[in-house]
Amino acid sequence: MNPSLASALAVFLGGMMLAASVVVLFVRDLLSAIIITGMISLSASVLFLLMDATDVAITEASIGAVLATLIFLWGKGKMGGRE
Amino acid sequence: MIRTLFVLLVLLVLAAAATSVIPHLKMRTELDGAGLEYARRGLEDTGSINLVTAVIVAYRGLDTLGEVVVLFSAATSVMLILSLFPLGRGPTDPSFIVAHTARVLPAPIMLLAVYFTTHSHLSPGGGFPGGTIMASAFLLVMLGSSSTPAGSKILPALEALSGTTFGLLGLWGTMTLGQFLNNRVIGIGNPGYLVSAGIIPLVSLAIGVKVASEFSGIFAAFRKSGGNR
Repeated sequence: MNPSLASALAVFLGGMMLAASVVVLFVRDLLSAIIITGMISLSASVLFLLMDATDVAITEASIGAVLATLIFLWGKGKMGGRE
Repeated sequence: MIRTLFVLLVLLVLAAAATSVIPHLKMRTELDGAGLEYARRGLEDTGSINLVTAVIVAYRGLDTLGEVVVLFSAATSVMLILSLFPLGRGPTDPSFIVAHTARVLPAPIMLLAVYFTTHSHLSPGGGFPGGTIMASAFLLVMLGSSSTPAGSKILPALEALSGTTFGLLGLWGTMTLGQFLNNRVIGIGNPGYLVSAGIIPLVSLAIGVKVASEFSGIFAAFRKSGGNR
């Protein structure tokens, strides 16, 4: 990939992760918080891919973005309406 | 209101601490120390084309064993807590979409997982991501059926078997070459072939099966918790 395009993407993703991690502290809805956390993990995985760390990117995508989000969602479903 | 202000204050302090470090960061453009040594000798030493796997499984295999032990204790605690304090309603019937997706998708997902696990010395992948992807295929099968999961007696057996395999492969090196998890107990073969790189593929497979059975066990415990069918 074009280096300047890659660094622009990296800055965009990094800024988005920073903003999302601040927003997640103040959001009221538990479901939104879980989705935002998953999105942060997915952005981290893309950042790892941009740094040519493919193994870490695969691990982050499968564990951080999918498995952790799934377990949080399941826990929320099990809790029902209580938060 | 006070809580929000407190959170903002903590965030500002953390941000200040982080920015004070930035001027001291150095961008490295060249490898040095152990990293240089691994990059220079990795392929010769281990026969693994993927140097990340060479470091994870061969050079720092003991750390990976520790990681597996940590994951094991975490999975055991989750299952213990879930069996002591049942949670929620127990299994519910799958929706139409989930039931039909669960007939199609698990096979390709499992194929990807097996590829990641068995080809970790040739291309990106490894036991940990492969194992979690296997567990997600298992999860999809489980969500697609309305009963409690079958095979939950096989999972602990698989977990114990793969954990023992990892330990025995390590001890094999201690017995023959005097070094735990030595990669050269069997020949490293031709780099680039599926059967090469010594015990790396075997250890990856053991890690993959162990991680998959642990996460599947957690999912099965979650599913069963709060009522049987």
